[in-house]
Amino acid sequence: MRPMAPSDEELVEQFQQGDSSAFDALVRRWDRKVQGAIYRLVGPSEDVRDLSQETLLKAYRGLRTFKKEARFSSWLYQIALNVCRDRMRRGRGRSYVSFDELTDGGESPGEAGRSALELIESRDLSRQVAAAVAALPMEQREVIVLKEYQGLTFVEIAEALDVPLSTVKTRLYRGLGQLRQQLIRQGIRGSAPVPAPTS
Amino acid sequence: MDCDAFRDEMMDLLYGEAPPAVAQRLEAHEAACPGCREELASYRRLRRGLAAWRVPAELEARARPRAVARPYLAAAAALLLLVGGGLVLRGSEVRYEAGRFAFRLGRGSGPAEVQTELAAQEARHRQEMQGLRLSLASSRRGDDQLLRTVQEMIAQSEARQAGLFTAGLERLEERTEARRQYDLAQVGVGLSYLDGKAGLQAARTTELMGHVLQASQKR
Repeated sequence: MRPMAPSDEELVEQFQQGDSSAFDALVRRWDRKVQGAIYRLVGPSEDVRDLSQETLLKAYRGLRTFKKEARFSSWLYQIALNVCRDRMRRGRGRSYVSFDELTDGGESPGEAGRSALELIESRDLSRQVAAAVAALPMEQREVIVLKEYQGLTFVEIAEALDVPLSTVKTRLYRGLGQLRQQLIRQGIRGSAPVPAPTS
Repeated sequence: MDCDAFRDEMMDLLYGEAPPAVAQRLEAHEAACPGCREELASYRRLRRGLAAWRVPAELEARARPRAVARPYLAAAAALLLLVGGGLVLRGSEVRYEAGRFAFRLGRGSGPAEVQTELAAQEARHRQEMQGLRLSLASSRRGDDQLLRTVQEMIAQSEARQAGLFTAGLERLEERTEARRQYDLAQVGVGLSYLDGKAGLQAARTTELMGHVLQASQKR
């Protein structure tokens, strides 16, 4: 029987007690996820790896004083979001996913064994979805990326964004509504207009 | 539950985060209200569509643990295990007694047997060390081969870059020459135009002077 992997919080504890290798374990666990979130927030560019490195470096510097009031995942995504926002503010990165630069990026998992037509349709749909998400206001995009693609819970997103839970749900609801409209315009199946939530 | 309340909590249901009691109420409303049912269904379809956006493969690639870089280290570890295991199987033992480590080779072996055993062991060790040396040498050969391959790749890359650079320079030169020819032609046209204009002006001046001269002579 394989031993259970230590939780993030246990690894943080080990790191704070002087075990540097615990941070390596956290990096192995979170590096790809952070890169995925950054890719979806700032778009396809060589900046993704830089921003991910910057996020992990900041996490390393801050981890010794991390108070564990929030989950490690929320805290790490909070750093990643701040790094992305800083980059956009400085204007060195783009605040949107460029339609033209959405490259295929090689074969994605699940593409093996599919016909060429299916691949083209799939990649085309991928571009359209990326463009629709990129067209959202940043605050809605952040919530949709964290919820839909990173799989955070509403509570974790609220912690990462430092906003109330109801705000997270409202942003998500509105963002999904806009996405649905956008994708309908692009000929992708959707539904009727969405009224704003009352909360 | 009315439709507004349903919409307020629909995201919890959509993402499976509604507590059971809330989920039950939401599902009851969903079953009874065609509008809300369709709206929720449209969000479910949307979520399936959103799943089409994939991160490029290079970001998906999981960092794999590095293979053992030096095969001779693995071989050395294997040798240690082999020797240690052999000693244990033959009844040898290491004991901590009276504040000192004690080592006993084999079970109740006499001095002659011990000598034979030691000689055989030494022969085996020498053989294994020889094997290790060969392994180390082949590893170095492998490194040399890798180095040569990398150097060849660098040379090929440099050649490609040089080719691209030369082709780029040639294209730039062609474009510059074409531009120069075009500019020269433009200058030529401009000068001809100026020449023509100056000639016309001179003719008019001459004509005017003729008229003036004639007029002064008539007086």
